Amino acid sequence: MTTGHNSTLADVLERCRPVPPASPNILKTLLAVQSALGHIPMSGILQIAQVLGVTDAQVAGVLSYYSDLRTQPTGRHLIRACMGESCMANHSARVLRAIQDYLCPAAGDASQAERFTVDTMSCAGNCAMSPTVMIDEHLCGRVTPSDVPSLLEAQVLRRKTEGGRPKAED
Amino acid sequence: MTPIRLYLSNDSSSRAAGAEQLADAWRDRSEIQLIHTSSRGAFFLEPMVERDTPGGREAWFNVRPNDLPRIVAGVGGTKVAEIPFLQQQTRFTFANFGITEPLALDEYQSRGGFKGLAVAQSLSPEAIVDALRLSGLRGRGGAAFPVWKKWQVAQQTESEQKYVVANADEGDAGTYSDRMMMEGDPFRLIEGMMICARAIGATRGYLYCRYEYPAAAWAMQFAIQKAREADLFDCDDYPFDLEVVIGAGSYVCGEETALLESLEGRRGVVLAKPPYPAVSGLYGKPTIVSNVLTFATLPNILAQGGAWHASLGTEGSRGTMALQIGGRVKQPGLVEVPFGLTLRDVLDRFGGGMAPGARLKAVQVGGPLGSLFPESQLDIPICYDAFAGAGAILGHGGIVVYDAETDMVDLARHFMAFTADESCGKCTPCRVGSVRGREILERIQSGQGTSEDLMLLSDLGETMKSASLCALGGRAPYPVLTAIEHFPEEFRLKAKG
Ligand SMILES: Cc1cc2nc3c(=O)[nH]c(=O)nc-3n(C[C@H](O)[C@H](O)[C@H](O)COP(=O)(O)O)c2cc1C
Ligand code: FES
Repeated sequence: MTTGHNSTLADVLERCRPVPPASPNILKTLLAVQSALGHIPMSGILQIAQVLGVTDAQVAGVLSYYSDLRTQPTGRHLIRACMGESCMANHSARVLRAIQDYLCPAAGDASQAERFTVDTMSCAGNCAMSPTVMIDEHLCGRVTPSDVPSLLEAQVLRRKTEGGRPKAED
Repeated sequence: MTPIRLYLSNDSSSRAAGAEQLADAWRDRSEIQLIHTSSRGAFFLEPMVERDTPGGREAWFNVRPNDLPRIVAGVGGTKVAEIPFLQQQTRFTFANFGITEPLALDEYQSRGGFKGLAVAQSLSPEAIVDALRLSGLRGRGGAAFPVWKKWQVAQQTESEQKYVVANADEGDAGTYSDRMMMEGDPFRLIEGMMICARAIGATRGYLYCRYEYPAAAWAMQFAIQKAREADLFDCDDYPFDLEVVIGAGSYVCGEETALLESLEGRRGVVLAKPPYPAVSGLYGKPTIVSNVLTFATLPNILAQGGAWHASLGTEGSRGTMALQIGGRVKQPGLVEVPFGLTLRDVLDRFGGGMAPGARLKAVQVGGPLGSLFPESQLDIPICYDAFAGAGAILGHGGIVVYDAETDMVDLARHFMAFTADESCGKCTPCRVGSVRGREILERIQSGQGTSEDLMLLSDLGETMKSASLCALGGRAPYPVLTAIEHFPEEFRLKAKG
């Protein structure tokens, strides 16, 4: 998911520069930056504000407001367990624990942190297939705790061979 | 030999169920041709594969790649028309689901698509609003406000620019009908938005889609491009255009004023009303914000008449409702039925009872702000008035069933933590109340709580209900207080003293 982020902040911002009379759209710009760079570096706030013609406080305000905007790079794979009500009712907390147990055998293992980021989400609209886990863009349903190891390995391995550059380090 | 046409759903949930795997496995099989349709919504049967027979479509359920020979031989299929989960539904808004290819404009048109818009174009804007008044349609996004009233205000407000905005934020966990509509019948949503644009005189539309729905946003973008290329937007005297905008993970951005703030690129905070968006909305111009399903219901109403729509459902709740069954049931899925069945009926007839080994504890209707119902209160009819009378909401039609293993104190804590996370911070009762509520519930959960804490929660709830700016703070206490009301012993046991 975070591979292939080759463009620079300046490139992205050039494409997002508002053309009058259109007014600057901070959220749209931040989403474009995130999709190009994988995250929105805090150090870029001033530059973003200048291009949009708004204050850096306005940019920082929008950036901190939305939970899907990330200021830190994620691991090479983003794994999200759904904690929405349909998934909760299907005991997704146990699935989350299984993911954490599988990926974080030793807390603070830096190589694992580089490889995976584990997060929760509030609903993927996959509630008829609860519990839901999203691995990068890939939606998985009816996930039981015992499925977790094979699911993670299958998805990660699959990504390795599918299109794009093969990533030996995975 | 001509290949056999097999129909397989391309819906995100069907793919998650294994449809993607089937498509991969069968890609090079020359004896078949795979047609990628929308999903019928019977997700417990997915992945489901269908083929034509002289007696109509037949289906194979929970298919695995090595089931192909059986399907090709025509052995062991079930007539789709005889699947009880589907047979007992009344499909109007979701009539095309499982049948058409979502992005095939000609298929949409051949099944009556754009007839509603043609009727709207033959009517005056006032006559369109009249048809809506007659239909009794109420918004499907949660607040259930009569659609025609909003439209009339926007229509009568003079402005050189007006907007129509589809609310595709679908923030209520447990709901997925908007996602299915966008992925499965995108032209219906486009047609509905164009009918609204015609009625109020808008020339520009936006679809605000949540970040978690990439496939839906992609399908809408594709369908919009197709409609544009087919010159569908260049109808009579004024041009129309439509754009998809992606949100960034904020529940409160589903609230219409917050949504418009977010559409303009700002923090999605709730604004005090009035002014209502119909008077002063996007960029200060008259704007209709409606739910995806509200728009998707319009083509049939215009094509078949307001009276037709009003003949379905109950006194105050006309038409059909798309219910989305989830949680610990045997048969989760999308159910479109006229208003009026009881909650118990819906769960028995469609939900098929509990998942193997599970016992029912509570049912929550209407998303994370919806009330909880114990087993003894399931005979409530599914209609706006009955739910309002019970202090509950139908919301966007999500039904989540919890089993006996659910810890009610922990669930209540989850609800308050959700509100504390998602509060936009504009009003104090919601911003501070939800944090206090969460702290109290954490105290009870850890065994440190007292019976006074329960009283405190109830007082706090009353304040949030009456003094919050929007329904996030105003409704947040309901799931918590109904949990305490129906399962008091669990709370008392933990909150001794
Ligand atoms: C906290 C909050 C969240 C909401 N989320 C949604 C949503 O995700 N989708 C939606 O259509 N309406 C949502 N609404 C309701 C909208 O404010 C608005 O009433 C609705 O979009 C109007 O469309 P309708 O008339 O078609 O229902 C929400 C309201 C509140 C207070
Ligand atoms: S509640 Fe988990 S996908 Fe909807």
